[in-house]
Amino acid sequence: MLRLEDVTVRFGGLVALKDVSFAMGAGEILGLVGPNGAGKTTLFNTISGLVRPRSGNILFEEREIGGMALHARARLGLGRTFQIPQPMHHLTVRENLTVAQVFGAGKSDPARIDEILQVMELAEHAERDAATELALQELKRLEIAKALATNPRLLLLDEVLAGLESQAKRRFIAKLRELHQRYGLTIVIVEHDIETISTLCSRAVVLNFGQVIADGAPDDVFRNPAVVESYTGTADA
Amino acid sequence: MLELSQQAIFSGLLVGSVYALVALGIALTFGAMKIINLAHGELVLLAAYMAYFIESRTGWNPYAAIPLAFAITAVVSIAVYLLIDRIKLHRELNSLILTFAIGIILTNGILLVFASDVRSTNSPVLQDALSFHTVYAMKGELTAFVVSLAVMSALWWWLKLSWYGRAVRAVSSNRDAAMLMGIDPRRVELAAFLVAGILASVAGVALFTMSVVQPALGPALTVKAFVVTVLAGVGSIPGVFCAALLLGVTEAMTVTLASSALQELVGMVLFLLVLFFMPNGLFGARARRG
Amino acid sequence: MVVKNLPGILLALAACLIPLVYGGNGYIMGLMVSGLIVAGVALAWALLGNLGGMVSFGHAAFFGVGAYASALLSAKAGLPVPLSLLAGGAVAALSSLAMLPALRLSGPYFALAILAYAHIFKILATELSWLTGGSAGFARFPVLPTIAGIDFSSRIGSYWLLVVMVGLCLLAYRAVKASHVGTALRAMAESEDATRVVGVNATLLKAWMLLLSAFITGLFGAMNAHIINFLEPDYAFSGTWSVLPIIAAIFGGYRTILGPVAGAVAIYLFDQLVAKAILPVGHQIILGVLLAGMILIAPNGLFGLFGKKKTGAAHAAA
Repeated sequence: MLRLEDVTVRFGGLVALKDVSFAMGAGEILGLVGPNGAGKTTLFNTISGLVRPRSGNILFEEREIGGMALHARARLGLGRTFQIPQPMHHLTVRENLTVAQVFGAGKSDPARIDEILQVMELAEHAERDAATELALQELKRLEIAKALATNPRLLLLDEVLAGLESQAKRRFIAKLRELHQRYGLTIVIVEHDIETISTLCSRAVVLNFGQVIADGAPDDVFRNPAVVESYTGTADA
Repeated sequence: MLELSQQAIFSGLLVGSVYALVALGIALTFGAMKIINLAHGELVLLAAYMAYFIESRTGWNPYAAIPLAFAITAVVSIAVYLLIDRIKLHRELNSLILTFAIGIILTNGILLVFASDVRSTNSPVLQDALSFHTVYAMKGELTAFVVSLAVMSALWWWLKLSWYGRAVRAVSSNRDAAMLMGIDPRRVELAAFLVAGILASVAGVALFTMSVVQPALGPALTVKAFVVTVLAGVGSIPGVFCAALLLGVTEAMTVTLASSALQELVGMVLFLLVLFFMPNGLFGARARRG
Repeated sequence: MVVKNLPGILLALAACLIPLVYGGNGYIMGLMVSGLIVAGVALAWALLGNLGGMVSFGHAAFFGVGAYASALLSAKAGLPVPLSLLAGGAVAALSSLAMLPALRLSGPYFALAILAYAHIFKILATELSWLTGGSAGFARFPVLPTIAGIDFSSRIGSYWLLVVMVGLCLLAYRAVKASHVGTALRAMAESEDATRVVGVNATLLKAWMLLLSAFITGLFGAMNAHIINFLEPDYAFSGTWSVLPIIAAIFGGYRTILGPVAGAVAIYLFDQLVAKAILPVGHQIILGVLLAGMILIAPNGLFGLFGKKKTGAAHAAA
């Protein structure tokens, strides 16, 4: 589904990602873990096309996409959310989804928009102005809804669970499982909470200082001494 | 042919130094405020007409007009700044339209006061020709070149050593951080517009002594200054100077080898090519892509 | 529905009443014809500004290209005038293709590139004198024809033709704005990354807006050429064709659809009847003051001053 081969990203003199490689199959839910500044969001930006890698390959369904424009990757079936929600301004919630569907999925299907609004619990907000009339958690659900409207096969979720209290979080994890099943998605999720990763993901990849330091089943990964050190090191700081 | 080319290169270098002064004014305000002053060419023209005014009224050397020209361009330049400062919404684009409007006002104001006739200096001293082996120049052109170089050196020294140089670097890299460091960005911006006014006053007077002026010249001067800043890429003085000389020589060569009507065309085409295909300019790096 | 469309209905009514009242006054009708030409360009300018998010100082280029293309095609290739008008628009759109690399530039640099572009076309029209007659001008080309008994070359005939053309362009503009493309472009203004990441090809959509804007401008440039029946580079590519539409669109509110059209007629009449009477030479200084004042006091146009203050109203208003 997605394969990264020695992806390196630099910002000026700073190496944000160094020789990042991993591959994931269709249907996987992969947790992307690491302390702040480890390069998780940069990795998402690189896969989705906001940032160009200095070197290395990004293959989506065996197709090299490293040089492709942002919008073209979305049309291939690559959806993403932003950690800080980025609704389309001056548009209602429904218009946000319609634009995503028409341009990202290449068709207009109002019934499916209604379904996504239902699933993401946004139906009652459908006619509100997305940028100014939604609360933070609604904006976060809109991020996912927009990505879903483009009919993605791979979904990159950037800290969509942050800020939820434990019961809401459990509900949201169930929701993500439902989306995974219903739409046949492959998911990469950035998440800090180890327990969430353990319950939701079949696999975890740990980044630190722009490098992959562990990759495997969540329980094994979180027992890896290098991971424990990088994690507790920053957690205690 | 060879001699003609040599003469073209020489004349081009001389006029290029004045282009550099005009361009530096625009680069300065852009560097401080990220705002392009579309009325800068008109500001230069205003100074040129002050030189005409002084010369035609008193018979003095046009350079005697610099204090008057400076007083007027400084006032207008600061007025432009204060007006831009009032824009709160979509500043980048609205300031373009505002300065465009100010340009229209200045052009037509000059037209009203000085009529549409073409003016140039009558000073016999400045029109005197000097020859160097195979090339020659009017004393006015040489004086303009020397004065431009002197002003640019002063500017370079001031940017390097004064509080302003440090402050403008801080403000243009991070406005909020600069404010935390106790730098008032408005003071920096005001200084930039004031110095741009000084540069415009010298450039205008120099332009009058070596060339002809007319009220419709403003936009062409502004565009030439952009051509230079875009060619230069980054706002370094040597970069702008080299780019300005390049434009001056290219124009002079076009006049010599092709026709005078094509003079401006070459600059424009150069401008678009660099803008489209070398967005970082010939001499530096700055992102222009949106 | 009627209330929502009220400004449009009033404007249409006014357009119909003017020839009834002033039909016999050749001077007024001549002014109205020129005002409508400016209205067409102002509409095109506002379309590019409002939907494409681009400020252009170079619409005179498209205006002049359309004028010369139609005049030359009708005179030298024998194309019937109705077709040459459309061809004028098409050639102007074609000429805008050379501007496509500029779409990747950020706002101010786009504005500067298009300013340079307009200069280039003016120089070309002067220099290619074997084709355009150069600065001596070009006059031998057909006037607007008489079709079905209506003489479109008369002031009344031109007037009605222009009213219909402006009306059609307004409808086209409204249709684009209401379409998915219009919605995506509205989002692009302040959230470009968010819009591109869901699959919107921002550059392509902006390119379409540039093409459409250039087409409309060229079309009205061509109309003007056949009405005036004389062309010279300094006139056809005059900065006036860039300046008047900007003032008109800002004055009327470039975020609205009708505003630029109403603004154009108002500004043109003001310039010719009032400003010129006060200052025969340099009357554009008054327009400059007006434009500067509008940007400082009401950048969203006079209609914007009275408009609702709700978020997004500037965009939603039509």
